[in-house]
Amino acid sequence: MEHAVRVAELRKTFDVAEREPGLKESVKSLIRRRTREVKAVDAISFDIASGEVVGFLGPNGAGKTTTLKMLSGLLYPTDGEARVLGHIPSKRERDFLRRITLVMGNRNQLQWDLPALDSYELNRAIYRIPREDFAPTRDELIELLDVGDLVRKPVRQLSLGERMKVEIVGSLLHRPQVLFLDAPTIGLDVTMQKRIRSFVADYNQRYGATVLLTSHYMADVEALCQRVIVIHHGSILFDGRLAELARTFTAHKTIEVALADGVRDLSAYGEITQRDGDVVTIRVPKVETARVTARLLAEQEVLDLNVEDPPIEDVIELVFAQERPEQRQE
Amino acid sequence: MNALRVTWLFFKVGVLNELQYRVNFVVQLFQSAIALTVGLVVLALVYSHTDELNGWSQPELVCVLGIQILMGGAIKTYIQPNMTRLIDDVREGKLDYALTKPEDAQVLVSVREVRIWQVVDLVSGSIVLGVGLSEISTGVGALDALAFAGALLLGGVMIYCFWLVIATVSFWVVNMWTVVELFDGVFQTGRWPVGIYPGWLRYSVTFLVPIAFAVTVPAEAVTSRLDWQTLVLAVGFAAVLFTFTRWFWRYGLRNYTGASA
Repeated sequence: MEHAVRVAELRKTFDVAEREPGLKESVKSLIRRRTREVKAVDAISFDIASGEVVGFLGPNGAGKTTTLKMLSGLLYPTDGEARVLGHIPSKRERDFLRRITLVMGNRNQLQWDLPALDSYELNRAIYRIPREDFAPTRDELIELLDVGDLVRKPVRQLSLGERMKVEIVGSLLHRPQVLFLDAPTIGLDVTMQKRIRSFVADYNQRYGATVLLTSHYMADVEALCQRVIVIHHGSILFDGRLAELARTFTAHKTIEVALADGVRDLSAYGEITQRDGDVVTIRVPKVETARVTARLLAEQEVLDLNVEDPPIEDVIELVFAQERPEQRQE
Repeated sequence: MNALRVTWLFFKVGVLNELQYRVNFVVQLFQSAIALTVGLVVLALVYSHTDELNGWSQPELVCVLGIQILMGGAIKTYIQPNMTRLIDDVREGKLDYALTKPEDAQVLVSVREVRIWQVVDLVSGSIVLGVGLSEISTGVGALDALAFAGALLLGGVMIYCFWLVIATVSFWVVNMWTVVELFDGVFQTGRWPVGIYPGWLRYSVTFLVPIAFAVTVPAEAVTSRLDWQTLVLAVGFAAVLFTFTRWFWRYGLRNYTGASA
């Protein structure tokens, strides 16, 4: 299979200045600055196939953005190798830059006081998009994202969600083959999140583009990504299918049970996590699931019973709460 | 040349941006008028006591003033706004987008802004220069005019290099604003030919901050004072400075970390 992204033992360390609070310490740090080496990304490796949509998950400061910035050529890796579409990103070759895009949910790249259309013209020149390709692509994107006349209003007059949409149109005018999306839905309302989500899926389908996406909203990841890479403390904790994540990281399942004779104490079966009217949620160790279910069915008058993996948010929370795996501590 | 096309487009967009703030034009007109009046009054005061200053007559010094205003206008129209934006972008981590574009990053960061209302200084500087020249009896030869244009261009390049080096330092040093303010002060020394200053200051405003090349040398050209050695030195220094600046900028980029989000 052809790989759009290949990352091998990629590292990035930053020197961070450090000092205690207070005037005395400030003066001291003038004379001798203490720095600490922070491993933002610590020897990660993964491949992404062409056309794949991969979710990049991790808490704040996990190293997601640093990795995206190395892959888009903004940061020089300290060590290791990254290749995107066969190019070494840090060389910032024009052929490479013309085939990728980076969208950051909290940054704005359009001219603030002008309608987005003017900024699009700038991008046309910078990316050397032939005129005959430019207008159809632009209009198609405008239609796909349902942007309409917003591109004629000064960007500063748009709402956050509207701005994100015109921003995305601008980032895709050159039809990039690889999309790095850093929290593209951050701060947007649910409808707008959905809109952008379905657009990314659509773009991926239409053009076979490869997408690497970070998001704080699990809904984004669940809707878009067959595969997730979980990164924490600069290391990869998990790389695989989303469903697999739950199986790997949780030792529990939840049993939802509704009883015919209403509320009863079921704490003998497992830990009660929720009680919603007649429906009780019990958390049981995975290995016990079958036995507990059989006991419930035998001993209680059960109306309805559901065995489920815990919600993905809980799984992620659990993963992030974990310490660094032993083998990664060198 | 795509870089030129991009530069032109950014210029157009910059003008569009500025046209939305027409009140700036009035403010600029006012500021320029004050600066010009002060400059002329000081000159008149000096020449009420003497007929020449270090070999320069009053009309010749009016030319120097004109060129200083003209160059100051060029700096504030184009060079300074781009460089201060660069310093801001580095500090706020907003340089990212400029660096992911398939165009020379140095070109991009140098052409993104234009303060079109500062053109007032370009115009008033030209007028002052014209008035000064009209009072010089010897007139300006074609060769002098050519040397003047060349010297002005070289001076502009050197000032640009100076600014880009300063802005690049902001990859390591967060607060470069004091240097920006310092430049405005130091640039005022260009009102007088650098020959009147003591040695240390003369060298500083020639090679450290290339104001002598940007103002005095073009003024020498237009008043038939320029010798060819000075012009050669200007060409050589501009080339060296430009090469160094480009290298330093690229070196700085390697150290760009961006304010992480």
